[in-house]
Amino acid sequence: MITFEGVSKYYDTTTALRNITLSVGRGETIFVTGPSGAGKSTLLKLIYAAEFPDTGRVTVDEWQSDRRNGSNIPSLRRNIGIVFQDFRLLGNRNVYDNVALALRVRKVPEREVKAHVLDALKMVNLRHKTDSFPPALSGGEQQRVVIARAVVGDPIIVLADEPTGNLDPDTAAGIMRIFKEINARGTTIVIATHNRELFRDTGKRVFRLDNAAVASEERG
Amino acid sequence: MPYPLKIALQSLWREKWINLLSMLTIAMGLLVISLVFSSLYNVGLFTRTLPEKFFIVAYLKDGLAENEIQKIVASIKASGPVEKVTYISKDEALRELKQSLKDAEYIVGGLDENPLNTLFPVSLKREAVGPEKVKELAGSLRKMNGIDDVQYGEKFLLSIDSVRTGMETIGLILMTVMISGVIFICYSTVKILFYRRKEEIETLKLLGATKTFIRTPFVIEGSVIGMAGGILSFAIALAFYFSVFSKLSATVPLMKTVVFPFDMFLLLPAVGLFLGVTGSLIALGRIRFE
Ligand SMILES: Nc1ncnc2c1ncn2[C@@H]1O[C@H](COP(=O)(O)OP(=O)(O)OP(=O)(O)O)[C@@H](O)[C@H]1O
Ligand SMILES: [Mg+2]
Repeated sequence: MITFEGVSKYYDTTTALRNITLSVGRGETIFVTGPSGAGKSTLLKLIYAAEFPDTGRVTVDEWQSDRRNGSNIPSLRRNIGIVFQDFRLLGNRNVYDNVALALRVRKVPEREVKAHVLDALKMVNLRHKTDSFPPALSGGEQQRVVIARAVVGDPIIVLADEPTGNLDPDTAAGIMRIFKEINARGTTIVIATHNRELFRDTGKRVFRLDNAAVASEERG
Repeated sequence: MPYPLKIALQSLWREKWINLLSMLTIAMGLLVISLVFSSLYNVGLFTRTLPEKFFIVAYLKDGLAENEIQKIVASIKASGPVEKVTYISKDEALRELKQSLKDAEYIVGGLDENPLNTLFPVSLKREAVGPEKVKELAGSLRKMNGIDDVQYGEKFLLSIDSVRTGMETIGLILMTVMISGVIFICYSTVKILFYRRKEEIETLKLLGATKTFIRTPFVIEGSVIGMAGGILSFAIALAFYFSVFSKLSATVPLMKTVVFPFDMFLLLPAVGLFLGVTGSLIALGRIRFE
């Protein structure tokens, strides 16, 4: 579903990723871990085409980074649900509209939007915050809105960048159960985290990045 | 309600003050442009009728026979830029003079002999009324057999000419300055609207929105603001027409000749709409995904 072939990414003088080769199968869950600045977010950005490789090639389903054009990027992104490390919620729209946006860009008919959005909010225990605006939510609540938005459109891939960074262990465990559920429905999931608790005893593959390169690949 | 429309209306309401400001800006801009335009239009009309008031007068020598006079008329008519030649015999000229002197008839009353010449007021084709051409024509008339003298208002002629070129230049400069000013103001207002939503657009792109999805609410907003501005300027123009202009032209004689270009003002809402849509498209610029 996702392959990296000899991918390097440079920012001016910084090397964010060096010669990465890996592949993620359809329906698989993998973890990407490593210290801050190791290149985890950059790796995810290459998958959703917010960045492009300087060398090598990224393939996501049928999309290839070296055959990209302006019009196939939006459709690539509609196949992916993203939990951004910096949330990217719209402060001037309420929780409902923020989550609904993921459906609206997918042209889901307006009469189906409501049920899906409310389901997704119930899943992250935020049904009671439907009408709140993001600036009035706690960090953990905002993070859960982002998670709801990422999964509501039933994407074939979910990318989660530090999805439990602001959550207490119990809530974090709840979120991981959600990921497990949608993975069971066949969704491919990539989770970037420095929190070892998330992948302990999962049996999933864990790529440890260090200093822009894959330092090890192990089982959680 | 369709989603893009809802978003557009929401954001129109949420940003009502800056939107109101943009609307007023567009309305004022359109008003200024139409004011300049209607003044130019009127000045144009006025200067175009000026040449009709201009003519050359050719005086004949005394004692010419009727057929000689006809010959002269024919040859004047044959000179290029002549529009019309009128023939005023010396008796007619005297009668007119007497009439215009009505109360002071004693001035001419005692004359036993008509002191006036037979004369031809020669009016010219509109495009021929210019210093060079008139001088040339007057010269050639003067050389004709039987013509005693030729006269024309040289000062009037020169002023027509300078009024016309002056107005054309001023009008052109004014139009350019005004239009670029209004375009710039519209552009910067919309650019402000754009920067206020830059982050939102970035997020929409990351969520997989297409260009059309991103643009549509923006364009709806722009067209509402632009059209509202156009309608407002139209309303103000109309109010001005009925409260000031129509009264002035009823009382001040000079204002009677001023034309209020109604058709042009009817265009204002459409022009506003056009400005709003192009303004928002320009401000959005190219939406790039890479
Ligand atoms: N837009 C950018 N411009 C310049 N340098 C960048 C940019 N984005 C990332 N970097 C650099 O690339 C390196 C990798 O960054 P990245 O965000 O991928 O790290 P990370 O593993 O996600 O870290 P964290 O755990 O703190 O989120 C860092 O050194 C960072 O400073
Ligand atoms: Mg990161």
